[in-house]
Amino acid sequence: MIKLNLLFALPLAAQIPDFAARVYPLLEKAQCRACHNENGVASASRLTFPSEAASADEVRQFGLSLRRLVNAAKPADSLLMLKPTNRVSHPGGERLKQGSSDEAALREWAIHLASLPENRLMAAGPSQKLSVVLRRLTHSQYNNTVADLLGDRTRPANRFPAEDFVHGFTNQAEGQNISPLMAEDYARAAAKLAKDAVRSGALAKLIPCEVKLPGCGAQFVRTFGARAFRRPLTERETASFEKLLGPEFNAQTVVEAMLQSPGFLFHTGTGTYTAASRLSYLLWDTAPDDSLREAAAKGQLTTPAQIEQQARRLMRDGRARLALNQFLVEWLRFDRVRGALRERRLFPEFGTELVHSMIEETTRLFQFLVWEDKPFLEFFTADYSFLNTALAQVYGVPAPESEFALTRFPAGGKRAGVLGHASFLTLTSKPSETAPTERGLFVREHFLCQIVPPPPPGVSTTLPVMAEEKPMTNRERLAVHLSNASCASCHRLVDPIGFGFEQFDAIGRYREKQIALIFPPVDAKRKNVRRDGITVELDVDTKATILGVPNSDFSSPAEAGRILAGTPACQRCIVKQFFRYALGRAETEADRPHLDEAYERFAKSGFRFRELMLAIVTSRPFLEEALHAN
Amino acid sequence: MPIDTRIARRTFLRGAGVAGALIRIGLPPLEAMFNTSGTAYAAGVSKAIPKRFVFWFNGNGIPEKYWVPRETGADYALPSCLQPLAPYREDVHIVTGLDSAAARLPGPGNSHYPSMSAVVSCKTYTGRGAGGPSIDQVIAQKIGGDARFRSLQLGVCQESFGESIQRNLSWADRDRPLPPEMIPHRLFDRLFGVKEPAWVSRQKSILDAVKDQTQALQGQLGVNDRRKLDEYLQSVRELETSIATLPPEYRNAVERPAEAMDLRDYPRIAKLQSDLLVHALASQQTHVASYMLTKCQGLTRFPWLGHTAQRHHEYTHGDVETPRGMRTLRDICRWHVEEFAYLVGRLKATSEGDKTLLDNTALVMMHEHAEANAHKNNNLALILAGNAGGWKTGLHTRTTGTLGDLYLTVANEVMGAQVKAFPTAERTLSEIV
Repeated sequence: MIKLNLLFALPLAAQIPDFAARVYPLLEKAQCRACHNENGVASASRLTFPSEAASADEVRQFGLSLRRLVNAAKPADSLLMLKPTNRVSHPGGERLKQGSSDEAALREWAIHLASLPENRLMAAGPSQKLSVVLRRLTHSQYNNTVADLLGDRTRPANRFPAEDFVHGFTNQAEGQNISPLMAEDYARAAAKLAKDAVRSGALAKLIPCEVKLPGCGAQFVRTFGARAFRRPLTERETASFEKLLGPEFNAQTVVEAMLQSPGFLFHTGTGTYTAASRLSYLLWDTAPDDSLREAAAKGQLTTPAQIEQQARRLMRDGRARLALNQFLVEWLRFDRVRGALRERRLFPEFGTELVHSMIEETTRLFQFLVWEDKPFLEFFTADYSFLNTALAQVYGVPAPESEFALTRFPAGGKRAGVLGHASFLTLTSKPSETAPTERGLFVREHFLCQIVPPPPPGVSTTLPVMAEEKPMTNRERLAVHLSNASCASCHRLVDPIGFGFEQFDAIGRYREKQIALIFPPVDAKRKNVRRDGITVELDVDTKATILGVPNSDFSSPAEAGRILAGTPACQRCIVKQFFRYALGRAETEADRPHLDEAYERFAKSGFRFRELMLAIVTSRPFLEEALHAN
Repeated sequence: MPIDTRIARRTFLRGAGVAGALIRIGLPPLEAMFNTSGTAYAAGVSKAIPKRFVFWFNGNGIPEKYWVPRETGADYALPSCLQPLAPYREDVHIVTGLDSAAARLPGPGNSHYPSMSAVVSCKTYTGRGAGGPSIDQVIAQKIGGDARFRSLQLGVCQESFGESIQRNLSWADRDRPLPPEMIPHRLFDRLFGVKEPAWVSRQKSILDAVKDQTQALQGQLGVNDRRKLDEYLQSVRELETSIATLPPEYRNAVERPAEAMDLRDYPRIAKLQSDLLVHALASQQTHVASYMLTKCQGLTRFPWLGHTAQRHHEYTHGDVETPRGMRTLRDICRWHVEEFAYLVGRLKATSEGDKTLLDNTALVMMHEHAEANAHKNNNLALILAGNAGGWKTGLHTRTTGTLGDLYLTVANEVMGAQVKAFPTAERTLSEIV
């Protein structure tokens, strides 16, 4: 009987196309994933690829989930077949050649899926568990922690190797490598900190007992260690530090060793100590204070209510403002504003002070909305801002009563919200001209959380050169992006956004027309004539749209801001960005319900940013271990 | 402390430093001194002179018109960008036509990023970093072991911009950058800082405690987290190897670069870093180094060349198609070669045994693209210099191999590193060895 079953089963099994071996690779080759991923520009479509690191099981599940895109009656006419071959309109163009063997393989899979009963697939959802990852102190956390611990305010980590941006932030576990140079820097900083703590007398104050008394060594190691490691030391740790301390009570050596230990450098706590540490490092950028430590020791950080209470307390302190600034600095990439360079002949007013003013303006708006509990979506729509005299000049508005006072823009103007800020407009420009592609990319990646695929390999990224006889606006120069099929599939997602900001130049000044700088070819006979180029004025067309967002035609930063503020993808993106920053990692499939929950709370509060912060710090992924202990 | 007579047969470093002061110091090789406890001044074991490898990089590509020689063979005319190499013509080999195949595989990132990943590792960009270990690290794993530093990473242009793939030349492995030291006085302290024996033994006991705790913690963590601590442990071990007391000769051998100097004066910093690198190689504190003059897609400004209106990357695209723009790029790329030539010159001016240090060093000078404006990834042009294993010099060769072919040939045929394979490598480039 069994034999008989097998005999029947075998030929049948052999006919099932092998999804993982044949179909999945061809979809990868077609680069479907580039747009159809959790954060892709096609994230709103019905196709979402699992991560590149997906397990065999996840790939199998994904293969079955494609059933949704299959027309059971006519598998060959399924969306799964029609879209990638561009037989029906597909923003990504023809990814699979019509009539190719790849298309045939995909068709076989569609036919197979059509033969499966739909209810068998319902349970085939992805199964993933929450991921907890080991993070180390960021440079800024290192500085603040040693300041709290030893009173040292020299910010030694500023001299460590720079931190990398991963998922938009520099605090992501994935980007926290420790190279030998970094280990050496840790060692050097630890030696100096310990030595200075002896000199300044700070260390003497940290020894809680008379050193000659028996047991004082262990007491010192335990009390100082618990503060340095943000958790009680293990027996093994205590023993190894006591050994270092020796009969000579070599406290300097112990401090030096602790500052290089994984217990100090990494967040290694468990249970309530993790909760205390995570809260404090997120909200204050430094180690827990006495009150938090006490709560952790008493096991009072296990319910969302207890955690929210502590979070509210921390958020009332001025340190919370400073700490949150780092989120803004990285989300808005102020480092790129600081690194901007401008053609002096075109932008004589551009310099360090103006850069500082630009960053200050955006920071003030952000802080105003967050800490005064204003609706945060005004970040995109505010018809007011915080200007100083220099910025008011750039914006062409009257100087404010006092520096960085709240100033209203003229009613019905084109400038509003962060998209009208000089900071955003500058960091997405080039030295002498705006860069619509950069502006569109920034909006996609930072405000919609959509990753736009990079140019395909081997493509020339050169744009036509401006000639005096035929000056071109940016829109005209970028037209090659949209006329060439391989460029257009992605550039139509970004360039048409950037065009809407074209009346705001490379430092955020309003301009009626584009002023182009053209370098003429050198005339052999009349060398050195007009070597610096000439400027021409060109009419600007600011018609713009955000492909994939319904009713999103706009023609100014103010209109773009209104569209973003009303777009769920943008509202959810704010949640995602803060989640990434708070957790030190990108969100996974398993985090989705928690993100949804946080979004609900954020939206329900009328988009109060503090509510979002509370939602995230009380979410399960943030406090996984602490809540687990409950 | 008794000094072995063989130490008297010293290696002399000669040459004018940047400050103009004549450096004339005797430096015995350090290898034997750091083999056991790190504190012992155990000079005297005479070994064969080791081979050294230097991986040298400047960002953005080149203007081929001013960089690639028209003729091949020995009688090629030096194009304008390569003029600074004129004194060392017989010591260099210009190799063109190499294919950087991994840059064109589908993968994330704008084209500078995949190009960078490809030229360092011949593997596809991961979206964060290089796809695998860089060639200098592959070589260092094989031949760097007995030196105080398995490898050194030096940099010059201290621009704060950029992603990991742009700022790092050396990669220990996939997504594991090894950042360069860019500040001369700090590099000096690593190499020549005074360390008392008491400090060394104390430092060792501290690191013992750190290692012990790291291992203990590892037991409590999941696989990924363990990997992270493992990386830290590895770094701590390397740090431990480098902790050492320098013999007295070393302490005063080299002048410590000033802390207060113009950090934008890149030509000066480039030369100071080269000086220190020459000392590090001569005293055998390391056998493998990478030198990153400017960053990938670098944004350096060039006041010393009179080009200040834009930054390097903008100069490679903006008005580069006009004769004026092309000449600007020519000046910039000639400066790169000038700094490379300075290092070659200093190595050549340093005698070692009856030869020069340059005779025992292989250098590879790279950039992420050929023609800068086009982001060209085939027909890469690079410079080989020195002579660590009898490779051919005094030539311009146009080849059809891949960058991987070149790297594997250098690793095995020149450095004797016995590397089994390297991505995209298929054949030995007989044109260079």
